[in-house]
Amino acid sequence: MGFSDADLQAIWLTLRLASLVTVLLLLIGTPIAWWLARTRSAWKGPVGALVALPLVLPPTVLGFYLLLAMGPNGPVGQLTESLGLGLLPFTFWGLVVASVFYSMPFVVQPIQNAIEALGERPLEAAATLRAGPWDRFLTVVVPLARPGFLTAAILGFAHTVGEFGVVLMIGGNIPGETRVVSVQIYDYVEAMDYGQAHWLAASLVIFSFLVLLVLYSLNHRQALR
Amino acid sequence: MQTLSARIDFTRPDFRLRAHLRLPDSGITAVLGPSGSGKSTLLRLLAGLERPRAGCIRLGEHIWFSRAQAIDRPPSARAIGFMFQHYALFPHLSVAENIGYGLARGRERQRRVAEWIERLELAGLERRRPDALSGGQRQRVALARALAPRPRLLLLDEPFSAVDASLRQSLRLLLQELVSENDTSAILVTHDLEDARQCADRIGVMIAGRVRRLGESAEVLADPGDAEVARVLGWPNTLPVTQWAGDEACGTWGRVRLSRAPARAHEVVALLPDGPRPGAREGLEVEIAQVIEMGAYRALSCRLPDRTPLRLHLPRALPCPARGARTRIAVPPECVIALPARASVRFNHWSPHP
Repeated sequence: MGFSDADLQAIWLTLRLASLVTVLLLLIGTPIAWWLARTRSAWKGPVGALVALPLVLPPTVLGFYLLLAMGPNGPVGQLTESLGLGLLPFTFWGLVVASVFYSMPFVVQPIQNAIEALGERPLEAAATLRAGPWDRFLTVVVPLARPGFLTAAILGFAHTVGEFGVVLMIGGNIPGETRVVSVQIYDYVEAMDYGQAHWLAASLVIFSFLVLLVLYSLNHRQALR
Repeated sequence: MQTLSARIDFTRPDFRLRAHLRLPDSGITAVLGPSGSGKSTLLRLLAGLERPRAGCIRLGEHIWFSRAQAIDRPPSARAIGFMFQHYALFPHLSVAENIGYGLARGRERQRRVAEWIERLELAGLERRRPDALSGGQRQRVALARALAPRPRLLLLDEPFSAVDASLRQSLRLLLQELVSENDTSAILVTHDLEDARQCADRIGVMIAGRVRRLGESAEVLADPGDAEVARVLGWPNTLPVTQWAGDEACGTWGRVRLSRAPARAHEVVALLPDGPRPGAREGLEVEIAQVIEMGAYRALSCRLPDRTPLRLHLPRALPCPARGARTRIAVPPECVIALPARASVRFNHWSPHP
């Protein structure tokens, strides 16, 4: 017993997907979190709720609407086709796009909380010391909100690794393209191959536990400092 | 000469600030006022941390804000130094990094930081984080950080409020020295009259969002201009006048003589707490309501015949009447000034020859 070639392929695909999604989420989520943390606009409520939606929606619902949007008659689908990129459903990039939506709240909320906790004072102090907006972000916000960014990255990564419903709706089950670990486990269970399913499922449990352990001990150390 | 001139109209839902002032490019101006009068907001407006609704702020040739010309320079472009009430030191940076934050990177920065560390006696603390410093040390780091980039105007928001009285004294001196050494000017917002008395060249008084008085310290302290300003400037006793008889003011509380008759029949006389002495044959009739030991002196809360409170400071060396005693107090004419109840606000500018 051990990992089969198909397992290794699924693991590699999952890690590639989760890493890419984490990087994209940090790039997209940070400005959204920044805006949500500091705006006094009336749009704060609606935008915040929209970002948090994947927390409460069944993944199939999110997946269903993303499938429609990315399909040949959907606005995203028509856009990608007119750009010569083809259609996104049942491709790796379709999974990436869907995962970005699905894991968004796990990245935005920790960063937003960290920026809110920072308050105005350090940024104002930096502004009176000649620091421009970009300088203030890099020298004040990033170091002071580091635990928030770390939490966001780890949760975003782990949540993408663990997703299933959205993957099935958008990606289907194509080896090497969209068959991630969770789908591979599902396949084994369906084929009554419990031994093989155990290998993957147990390693996912251990992986998730380790990720959370690292996160909590890092945050604990930060709190002690 | 880089005069600071500001005409500001600022509104928040619960507050309006309208200020019109002009200040020279040297020395320290203390801004006093009751809490909520808009002192800190004025400072934040000058710094660019708040935006006026209308008006114009300029330092010499440099326009920082002008509604008419659609100019609004950010704080980073105003050449100011700002010292926040609780210092707002960067908790993740060391003392040296905090001081050097506003300086351009390079060898020059290292040299200047070292100079500031030596000047403010922070040697040995360079690598410490702010949370490992005492209150006085944090304050000196904050002062060095604000002054290191050579600001043309230093703005200080209640800089001494978080340290104890013995440190305040030396920090006031330090501030005076630094402002003159660095050829800059400073605006110091404080609620402590002693700060203003001891280190300000000029005093401004804000009440309810307006600059009600601004001028040379000695001049402002001697003539507050009106009764409300007088209370801010340490004249705790203001008595309404019902009638004037030459140089004598009369009211339901009694009568006092001034050193000379006022030009106009003002509505209020203000009594300094330090000059009047109890145990006189004639003078104001009072009942001693409370005696509080204040160290070098005793604070006497008295009541006049019409129940108006009167506060006196009596040196410890003098005999003190007991609580509940009725006595008369002699009020030297130089301890009394006549004031309008509330003067109209004029354009407030500093001028070297009043």
